[in-house]
Amino acid sequence: MSFRRFFMGAMASLPILTVATLAQAQVPTDTAKAFITQAGNQLVTVVNSNGSESQKADELTQLVDQIVAVDQVGNYVLGRYINVVTPDQHSQYLTLFHQLLAYNITYQIKAYQGVTFVVNSASVMGNDTVVDTTITRPGQAPADVGWAVDEVDGSPKIVDVIVAGTSLRITERNDYASVVTSNGGQISALLSAMQNQIDRIKSNQ
Amino acid sequence: MFNIKPARKGLFTAVSKSSRLTMLASPAILLATLLAGCATPPPPSDAAGYQAFQEQNDPIEPTNRFFFAVNDKIDRYAFKPIAEGYVDITTIGIRNHVGNFVTNVAEPGRIVYFMFGGKPRDAGTALVRFVVDSTVGVGGIFDPATALGYQETDTDFGLTLAEWGIPAGPYLYLPVFGPSGARDVFSLPAEFFLTPLEPAPTSLALRIFGYSETALRLVNTRAQFIQPIDQIEATALDPYATFRSLYRQERASQLQVIDQRDTPTPPDWYPAAPK
Repeated sequence: MSFRRFFMGAMASLPILTVATLAQAQVPTDTAKAFITQAGNQLVTVVNSNGSESQKADELTQLVDQIVAVDQVGNYVLGRYINVVTPDQHSQYLTLFHQLLAYNITYQIKAYQGVTFVVNSASVMGNDTVVDTTITRPGQAPADVGWAVDEVDGSPKIVDVIVAGTSLRITERNDYASVVTSNGGQISALLSAMQNQIDRIKSNQ
Repeated sequence: MFNIKPARKGLFTAVSKSSRLTMLASPAILLATLLAGCATPPPPSDAAGYQAFQEQNDPIEPTNRFFFAVNDKIDRYAFKPIAEGYVDITTIGIRNHVGNFVTNVAEPGRIVYFMFGGKPRDAGTALVRFVVDSTVGVGGIFDPATALGYQETDTDFGLTLAEWGIPAGPYLYLPVFGPSGARDVFSLPAEFFLTPLEPAPTSLALRIFGYSETALRLVNTRAQFIQPIDQIEATALDPYATFRSLYRQERASQLQVIDQRDTPTPPDWYPAAPK
């Protein structure tokens, strides 16, 4: 109930949020819905499969690379610091960003066992097309999740996830920016923090 | 997979009625106390850093981070284990009914907040919800009002102040209560008075009911956020900054939803303008 309420507000705020993001062609709503339906079915199939967690993680990482505009999202998350990052640092950052995404997916596989989803509606918000879905997990209340889809390199890709009025990429950008500002604007501090996070997750596995 | 439900790590938004007077004064006391630990802004020559500092609007960040750490300990060793135990012994259905009940107890407050915020439709919705759910819904345990088309609405005194045009102001992370702001902190005293328990005559039974309702609300709410909070703590580079971002996005979203839902329109009987 409240998820839907907040989500509707988030959709309304998307034009503001997306002004400085991935300026690409808008994806028609029908195309976006079909894309999310297909991508969602693939994700659910992998998550609910009988494979081992490492197998699922590998498959999900590959799938996410296909359906999510990871580099573009990574650049958005870097925010204003993309103007000061060196090419080497940028390359290292994107590598770490991909790795962190993969580890974060692995971390959550168990929690999503038995997940189902329903695609509801889609609407154009600024440069993105937001597809509204309802995700249900065993023992949890259904959650409304919005998937912002944009055309990247000629095909639709996911560029943001919106839950309860909160945008994943904005939250991550603020998270990363805090690390940089806390360390005197040093991008190297962000790279170290990302590497430390990966090491920590690895050691806990 | 990307569940980023804005988790308010400080969920402890209710204490005993006996501390009401303290609560009344608490926003001013807190503001004065917290100002003791201020963050040092970067020099204006560092344009990017200075801009980032201004956007964060978290001038007492060191103090906020201290209380974040304190609350984290309280949560880790007290509230989270209790919430996990509660989840183990309850079903999702029971937790939903508890959620309905505590939502219903807060409806009278919402009626007042919406009225003061100039949102009469939402106030009417909250009123109908309270009457229907309190009676047909057996004291709020069930939520027939939603089935009748009166969807749950949410607001608080902070959002009422926002409707009056008061900006959110600097971010505050309060001991025990969690994320807040210079404007939203005034929700705390309002919340203690605007419940159905307040006008009722004082009695031992009522006091026990009040304590029980508070405890149930805290545990039930914390139980809803076990997985999202775990996820943030495991994956965020800076959980403090992540919670701060989520809190602010959620508040902006709440305000936007209220404004979109309760937009003044001419009544049906008002003559339409000639074309």
